[in-house]
Amino acid sequence: MRVPNTLNWKVGGPAGEGIMTTGLIFSKTIARHGIKVFDYTEYPSLITGGHNTYQVYASQNSATSQYQKLDVLIALDKPTLDLHHDEFYDNTLVIYDAQDDKINIEEHNLPVKNFNLPMVQLATESGGSRLMANNVALGASMFLFGLDLEILNGVIQDVFGRKGEEIVTKNQNAAKAGYDFMKMHLGQPILTIDKVEDKNYLTMTGNEAISMGAIAGGLQLYTAYPMTPSSSVLHVLAEKAKTADIVVKHAEDEIGVINMALGASFAGVRSMVGTSGGGFCYMSEALGLSGVAEIPLVVLESMRPGPAAGMPTWTAQGDIQFIITASQDEFPRFVVAPADAQEAFELTRLAMDLSEKYQTLVIVVADKLLSESRHTMELESTQFNNTRVGFEENPQLDEVGFYPRYQDSESGIGKRTIPGQKDGYYLSNSYEHDKYGFASEEGRVRVEQVDKRAKKFELMKGEILPQYFEDNGGEMTLVSYGSTKGAVIAARELLEQQGIKVNIFNLTWIWPFPVEQVEKVLSMDVPFAVVEGNSTGQLGKIITMETGIKITNKLLKYDGRPFYPYEIVQFVRNTLKK
Amino acid sequence: MNQLPQKYPFLPTWCPGCGNFGIMNAIKMAIAKSGHPKEKFVIVYDIGCSGNMSDFLDMYGFHGLHGRALPPAAGIKLANHDLKVIVVIGDGGCYGEGATHFINLMRGNHDITVLVHDNHRYSLTTGQMSPTTDKGEATKSTPEGSIEEPLNPLALAISNHATFIAREFSGAIPQLSARIGEAISHEGFALIDMLQICSVYNPKQDLRWYREHTVSLEAEGHNSTDKAAAWTQAMREEKLPVGLFFKADRPAYHSQVSELQSGTLVNHNKSVVDMTTLLQDYR
Ligand SMILES: Cc1ncc(C[n+]2csc(CCOP(=O)(O)OP(=O)(O)O)c2C)c(N)n1
Repeated sequence: MRVPNTLNWKVGGPAGEGIMTTGLIFSKTIARHGIKVFDYTEYPSLITGGHNTYQVYASQNSATSQYQKLDVLIALDKPTLDLHHDEFYDNTLVIYDAQDDKINIEEHNLPVKNFNLPMVQLATESGGSRLMANNVALGASMFLFGLDLEILNGVIQDVFGRKGEEIVTKNQNAAKAGYDFMKMHLGQPILTIDKVEDKNYLTMTGNEAISMGAIAGGLQLYTAYPMTPSSSVLHVLAEKAKTADIVVKHAEDEIGVINMALGASFAGVRSMVGTSGGGFCYMSEALGLSGVAEIPLVVLESMRPGPAAGMPTWTAQGDIQFIITASQDEFPRFVVAPADAQEAFELTRLAMDLSEKYQTLVIVVADKLLSESRHTMELESTQFNNTRVGFEENPQLDEVGFYPRYQDSESGIGKRTIPGQKDGYYLSNSYEHDKYGFASEEGRVRVEQVDKRAKKFELMKGEILPQYFEDNGGEMTLVSYGSTKGAVIAARELLEQQGIKVNIFNLTWIWPFPVEQVEKVLSMDVPFAVVEGNSTGQLGKIITMETGIKITNKLLKYDGRPFYPYEIVQFVRNTLKK
Repeated sequence: MNQLPQKYPFLPTWCPGCGNFGIMNAIKMAIAKSGHPKEKFVIVYDIGCSGNMSDFLDMYGFHGLHGRALPPAAGIKLANHDLKVIVVIGDGGCYGEGATHFINLMRGNHDITVLVHDNHRYSLTTGQMSPTTDKGEATKSTPEGSIEEPLNPLALAISNHATFIAREFSGAIPQLSARIGEAISHEGFALIDMLQICSVYNPKQDLRWYREHTVSLEAEGHNSTDKAAAWTQAMREEKLPVGLFFKADRPAYHSQVSELQSGTLVNHNKSVVDMTTLLQDYR
């Protein structure tokens, strides 16, 4: 069963054969039809060899998750024909290239329809190289879903334009050959998805959205050490550094990364770093330095399964308990967990502001699913305004000859000076310190400074945004955080079709914990369940810790795969005994 | 008990006879003589007896984490390359805990002046072995004598692309101060390994010991543009040469970052960010 005006397409093949580009082109083409997409990729932590897939779910209304059942599977090698049988349903069509991949289709016992598309032959006959076979598959896919070949040609132009007109034309010819071949042999599309006029979507992966959000928020310096699944932020920002007029530094290790960024921030530059769990562990000592010296900093932590090296290219939500407390002793911090590209853009942009406003640490939490999945999103403007705050323009040395940067005040937020400014001398200190930053071990001073920092935290609570809440008059409320929202929304749609209503409560704001909002929703007279990607129910534990509310129903997943909507559907039915 | 009013900056709390007194005076003199206004300087301090200098100077300072003084120094320079950035760090912090930063930032020729207070001990933590402790020395953490060979910071720096490499004795204040002045005006990664007396935890290497064991590179007519000669000097075992081992003119890191050609990063105005072009790629 397929909801009208949706499609679910997947291409699979060996790593290193352009699977990611092929998927990207398909996805962008859909988005340019005014249709929403959600892309999901799977690949092992290998460079060549190993099985890669790129999946695109598209819908006119809402594309928030990957779905299991495929309409079309494009197999660029033999293993793809064998590895995805549980993703088939009655109408799945499998496309393969018998000649080039030497496939005897009988051997694969496909329980669904299949079609032999001579991709390599059509590519070479149309004047291209065998590498262009993927474009034959793309052209064929256009016909299968009644999509516009011209729009695909436009995307090919934009993606390959840099390589010259000849390459573009050859790729376009290969696409046309695939389209025509399909048309000749099938006569009509297998299902159609209608174009929507007047929609001008952007498509971004979570990491692209985080990168762009940071730039919009006035980012000046990004430092990082590569670690999947955060690395593509480093790649995107390094590639765009010139256009964006920012500096990007791949530093010697994560300890160097964060300390370098803190130095730059101390000198007045809006700074951000990015990593995954392992690198975040390395950074944890310096998180405390940001805290005690009140140096603004944005840290991206994109989670993957652990402990230690774990499963680099898979997804998990298992670091959240660590993230809210990592480092020594106590100090204020913000922790936000965007659910999709739109939120990733907006919250990272906000993070840049909040870190400066409160002179504090802001951690943006993502995971492989968010970081590397592509979503459609919209922006009202492509221009963004930023105001620098918290700087003393005309510092005065006080009676002792220093600037009292850490003077206690009602808000607890002092005004910063930056080196180079005359008469703004102070010490930015990792030791507990007095109002000038000089080391102090005096009890009174210590308490004053701890309390000063704590005052900031009280104010920070006022920044908590409304969480995503759908009150559908449901029989149950599903509670989740970050990227799990998408699968929950998709499950709600499926449940609706089965006559079961659920409410959705997704936290994107983890710290300061949105106590009042959580209490309000969870005290409704409906059972609730927490859905999250770890094995002990960490979000649930945080809820209990902060509100006293006990968690009885949990759906936990920790196999490295994201939640599939049908799994949540089954869980709800079981829990409600329906 | 009535407390005396606190004097700012604090009076030094180092032990009597500590080499840090002389080094601090040498730094102050070098800064005063540099011709740059005081507010253009930032000193990044490591954690250690040496780093406690942060409380005794009236300047912009950043007292970071143990072993991690070099990365913030490089970050400050990237943020505002009009600033002069000095690192005050111990041998433990620079060559031990933070050796990765030392090795990698020198390759980048980041324009920072790294002053290593090399007393061959972890002094703040009461006298354990450090990376430069001689093999066989008994310390608190090596009561039967250390097993490791000592690290050779000068040879490391010569082989690893630092562009200003010197060793000085902390007792010879005018000479040390002049060298610090040269290091400050050098555009690139400058290392001065400063032989420092720690009379409490390393009484053996005292003034007399250093007199007997050091020789002047200048007196020997050493040519500091000759890398091979510098290497030979750095590898000597019978004596510790002091003076300028090697100096080369190579562009500093920040001067090779294309986005910094238009001025300091801190002055890149982000009040209006126009992303029209950037976002085009995501259509
Ligand atoms: C992460 C961390 N590990 C250990 C320490 C304890 N510690 C403080 S200073 C120091 C060593 C000091 O030796 P050195 O860097 O040579 O400086 P010195 O005191 O001799 O000037 C150590 C181990 C610390 N502060 N932080």
